[in-house]
Amino acid sequence: MHEFSIASSIVENVLELAERERAVKVLEVRLVIGEFTQIEGDQLRFCFESIVHGTPLEGAALEIETSDAGVRCPHCGYAGPPKYWDGALSSALVPTLQCPECGKAAEPAEGHECAIKAVKFTRDEEEAMA
Amino acid sequence: MSGPRTGFMIPTIEAHPEEIYDIELEQSLLEANAKLARENRAVLDRHGITAIDFMGAIGSGKTTLITRLVERLKDRIGVAVFNGDATTSADADAIANQNVPIVQIATVNGCHLDANLVGKALQKIDLEKLRLICIENIGNLICPAEFPLGSKARVVVISVTEGPWMVRKHPHMFLGAQVVVINKTDLAEVMGVSIEELTRDVHTLKPDIKVIPTSCKTGAGVDEVAAALLEV
Repeated sequence: MHEFSIASSIVENVLELAERERAVKVLEVRLVIGEFTQIEGDQLRFCFESIVHGTPLEGAALEIETSDAGVRCPHCGYAGPPKYWDGALSSALVPTLQCPECGKAAEPAEGHECAIKAVKFTRDEEEAMA
Repeated sequence: MSGPRTGFMIPTIEAHPEEIYDIELEQSLLEANAKLARENRAVLDRHGITAIDFMGAIGSGKTTLITRLVERLKDRIGVAVFNGDATTSADADAIANQNVPIVQIATVNGCHLDANLVGKALQKIDLEKLRLICIENIGNLICPAEFPLGSKARVVVISVTEGPWMVRKHPHMFLGAQVVVINKTDLAEVMGVSIEELTRDVHTLKPDIKVIPTSCKTGAGVDEVAAALLEV
């Protein structure tokens, strides 16, 4: 359940931003999560919803965008999507670090993000001007 | 916007005390841990210490492997052990008679060690004269993957008693590791689990990972693990 640590981190960061921006209510938090991370969207949403009660984040939508995995091969110079493991018994696609071109060890290049991309909120203008 | 059709539309804006703001930012949620991990690594490098993060399921043999490594290495180099566990000190107690510095890291209900806890543990021991720190992560094959600790290498310990699908069930854990130990090889035949197939699965995910079959019970392969860790 590392999703709980991540959810706590989202709430902490957004509350900080809300205070700084004098937000009254947070409407939406947009995340980008890389394919190479092992963060499960539904669990993350559940954790998020259970810890925002009574905060300006209560009722905010958590939008999760997935960023594709990408690898780079130091042996043949390939750069692009990873080779996926065929027949891994998994219902989800399993990205590997085997170069799709030469079969040697590639390095992960993209798809490791776990970040807040944008926050949508309302603010009390009169108070903000004060 | 409504109004008489007079050639062009006059845009109107209604003032409203509440406006919707949309702020774009690139706030990484893993960066706080990653930063502390880099700080831990800098402290370790300054002292010439290699830290190794041992990950693997409960019962895969992480504690026994670390105990065997400490037995072999402690007369040659300075070794310390950090034992991560949710609540018990069973693992630290098991290594205590080796007379090397040990720190028990209780995560309480946390499912992984993080760089902050390891940073605190580093402050509890004398780093002078140490060459190797074995960090035993929580017995969990999912969560620790996203939380680097500042170690120089990560070792995944699996054992044949966990069945034939360990690698396929937890692929992410292997992508970030440099060494995989397949433990309890003395039980492979009884379990009907093929070490060759497990090895092939690991190499399908990551061709350059070092795979070392061991039996911590008989001692087979442990010297090879010790050598691999000192080379990383």
